[in-house]
Amino acid sequence: MATIPMTPAELDEPKTSLWRDAWYRLVRNKLAIFGLFVIIVLAFAAAFGPYLTPYDFLSQDLDARNAAPSWAHLFGTDDLGRDVFSRVIYGTRTAFVVAIVVTAIAVTIGVALGAMAGFFGGWLDRIIMWLTDVTMSVPNLLLVVVINASLKAPLAAWMEAQYMATLNPFFRETIWVDFILVFGSMALISWPPYARLVRAQVLSIRSRPYITAARALGLTTRIILMRYVVPNAVGPLIVSVSAGLGTAMVLESAFSFLGVGVNPPTPSWGNMISDGLRVWQHYPHLLAAPAAVLGLATVGFSFLGDGLNDALNPRGSK
Amino acid sequence: MNAMTMSAPERLLDVKGLSIEIDTRRGPATIVDGINLHVNKGETLGIVGESGCGKSLTMLSLMRLLPNKIKVKSGTANFAGRDLLTMSKSELRKVRGGQVGFVFQDPMTSLNPVMRIGDQICEPLIYHKAMKRADARIRATELLRLVGIPSPAERLDAFPHELSGGMRQRVMIAIGLACDPELLIADEPTTALDVTIQAQIVDLVKELRVKLGMSVVWITHDLALIAGLVDRVAVLYAGTVVEDAPVEELFANPSHPYTRGLLASIPKLSDVAANRLSSIGGTPPEPGRRPLGCPFAPRCQLAEDICRQSVPPLEPLGGSGPHRVACFVAQRQLEAA
Amino acid sequence: MLRYIASRFLLWIPSVILVMLGVYALAFYGAGDPIKLIFLRAPGDVAYDPVRIEAIRETAGLNRPFIEQFISYILNLAHGNFGNSLSSGRSVWAIISAAAPVSMSLGLCAIVLTAVVAIPLGMIAALNQNTRIDYAILGSALFLWAIPPYVAGPLLMVGLLVLLPNVPVPYGWGGIFDARIILPLIVLSFQPIALIVRQTRAAVIEVLSEDFVRTARAKGVPETIVAIKHILRPVLTPVVTQLGLIMITIVNGAIFVELVFGLPGLGRLTVSALTDSDYPVILAITLIGSFLVMLSNLLVDVLYPLLDPRAADTMKSR
Repeated sequence: MATIPMTPAELDEPKTSLWRDAWYRLVRNKLAIFGLFVIIVLAFAAAFGPYLTPYDFLSQDLDARNAAPSWAHLFGTDDLGRDVFSRVIYGTRTAFVVAIVVTAIAVTIGVALGAMAGFFGGWLDRIIMWLTDVTMSVPNLLLVVVINASLKAPLAAWMEAQYMATLNPFFRETIWVDFILVFGSMALISWPPYARLVRAQVLSIRSRPYITAARALGLTTRIILMRYVVPNAVGPLIVSVSAGLGTAMVLESAFSFLGVGVNPPTPSWGNMISDGLRVWQHYPHLLAAPAAVLGLATVGFSFLGDGLNDALNPRGSK
Repeated sequence: MNAMTMSAPERLLDVKGLSIEIDTRRGPATIVDGINLHVNKGETLGIVGESGCGKSLTMLSLMRLLPNKIKVKSGTANFAGRDLLTMSKSELRKVRGGQVGFVFQDPMTSLNPVMRIGDQICEPLIYHKAMKRADARIRATELLRLVGIPSPAERLDAFPHELSGGMRQRVMIAIGLACDPELLIADEPTTALDVTIQAQIVDLVKELRVKLGMSVVWITHDLALIAGLVDRVAVLYAGTVVEDAPVEELFANPSHPYTRGLLASIPKLSDVAANRLSSIGGTPPEPGRRPLGCPFAPRCQLAEDICRQSVPPLEPLGGSGPHRVACFVAQRQLEAA
Repeated sequence: MLRYIASRFLLWIPSVILVMLGVYALAFYGAGDPIKLIFLRAPGDVAYDPVRIEAIRETAGLNRPFIEQFISYILNLAHGNFGNSLSSGRSVWAIISAAAPVSMSLGLCAIVLTAVVAIPLGMIAALNQNTRIDYAILGSALFLWAIPPYVAGPLLMVGLLVLLPNVPVPYGWGGIFDARIILPLIVLSFQPIALIVRQTRAAVIEVLSEDFVRTARAKGVPETIVAIKHILRPVLTPVVTQLGLIMITIVNGAIFVELVFGLPGLGRLTVSALTDSDYPVILAITLIGSFLVMLSNLLVDVLYPLLDPRAADTMKSR
């Protein structure tokens, strides 16, 4: 979220009542507020997970394996006696880290390329738009799965070699191999929608009457950009980022489910669901807990995205 | 004119005490406040007022075509012996497009963009007259010829975007006329058109209403445009009828201060030469913030205490006759004279 | 029209070559030595006999530089030669043509099911906007959207077996007219249905506020005819444009559904090819996936002018 070019100070700026109107419209939308609430709770759990969880996500209690939910273990324990509640919270952490980093990279690439395409036009525009077409014409899950599956071993070997050469402990953490691959491959398939959106915004805003009017008033390009183009493009981008965060979380869990994303023992909703599926007839809580939280996150982002869309694009909705 | 000279004109449409409300966040607000209107058989009525005075909503409410948030609160609308506002949906469907034709303001958006205009004209024929498609197409060709569209047979298969604005409005009129309605309601049919085309459309309707012997309600904010078309004019202000008179009488002897203001604001060549244009100061009241007395009082230069305290009734000027006005001052001035 | 389709196809070729280049590079640099991969699985210890491996490499042309190998791969493709599978040694074409009909018929049925179920539901929801019917339809759509197919599949499978113990286990493939196909088909359609219900509802609400709908009512057209002739037609245009997105959702979903229900289609082939690092197969699947998305986008472009005569005019003038 760090890349959204809008700070709370700007939000409160009195001269742009656009944001305040949008905020009021959003607050009145009960579903959107529910979505926002769910996301805030999950984000809180992700941020302060280590202080909230009653157990370490790796600590095993072999005397209490596959225990049903109880006060000691809110969501029960898994086949190794690990606390499912703690693992779900750590899974939330994984999901948010992946979603935020991936979206941040994708938005940066997308905004830069889209703005370039929109402003400069010509062959640069054509190449960038061709790249978005190419990327969007490949089934995204397939591409990411192929990248992750093929690069995991070489990257792990490279990290190992780096560790042997530098003894830097960073290179010993094999968990980074998973994360780097997930970040990179997902960002690679996620940027085109942002690029298209920004390009379309730049093109349509450039041709609107009020920009012509601003030009006629003798305003410089820089002022027109800052005052008119940027504020108008930010709204749709926020909507798209909110949807993108949700999509990224779902994709992450899908990859982890297939075993090409974040691998055990690092908790991820996807690999917890995958584990839970094997034994769920006997221990349904092992499947229900991560699946419910994943569903809740999807619904939360969906509601918030719709609400933001209604609030920020009042003309586009009723 | 012709209707007025008849001894006892038969009322085709008689609206009594019609009130319309809009749901706002602060609760319901009245937009149309107890309107009384009637249209005689064969008569052409002009409804005049500024935008937002409720003239279009009044007519839409009669056909029960109001948007969701706007509702009729009270009143009756008697059409050929039945109340439009309470009749069953199937009865209403027969009236819509069958006995009452409607022509809307913007022909660009009022015609279905993905449907050929021939099919759009045939629809009322198919659903009201149970015509076969082939027969309906023959009738549609006649209708297009009637509204003055050249080579009508070929135009049947055109899409709306392939026609000019004036042609589209002629198509709308053809749709309104398709089933020989007793009443044609034209809701600002010329607002979206060029000035030269506006006159053509007015002339077309003038010619057709005689040829077809129907009643017409023409809604507009442009009094000058319809002066030669209508028999009688109802002036609306903030959801009430403030003056209702035969057209010559209204132009010769405007009695309500608002009507006078409207007439004065029609630019004349002498005004333009003198570089002065007349306008009415102030703005109409917002719905939900109506004044206690006469809605025009806050903008009226002649307003007295009584005008701010009670609503003037719409009464015949001088006690009898077709010229009715809702103004305490105008009524008293006449008594004094 | 034919010329248009041909030109679109020609434009697609360079973009698919770019994607293939990426996947080929992943295989070449990431996955390691294909010969070694083969013989590691084969009986005997050929994998540890450098002389024999070198000889095989020589005959297979695998010691040539990367770009040379890639070009010869593409040339072979152009002749319809997809190469041989590394794991089974069978021709990739044979493997694909055995698996493709399963996925294709499943996917096609899912698209039809989606259209038949989702468009009327979306319309009913919009026509009863903000009533219980609307909330029930929207709520169910959201619920379906939030459950990933890898959770919905197993849950429904076991649910079915518990409710109807005499029904044959919905596992395996017996053709598209086999009763076992019903459950995977439903699971595969869940997310596309959710997507299209929401799209249709939003589009209908927008069309309902159009002036021409009021005109149709003012003409005395019966409400059901208004819904079908005046509302549905303009609504189809934005909904049909979602076909590409639906195709991607279905291709993604097929991976999980085929895995869960044991269907021998392209999705399961993808997963097994990835575990075996069987790159000729992966390349072929990527090609097919990309072709499907291109095809659905092309179909949208061909259908669009039929649905919207205004677009037909711009097409003609192009």
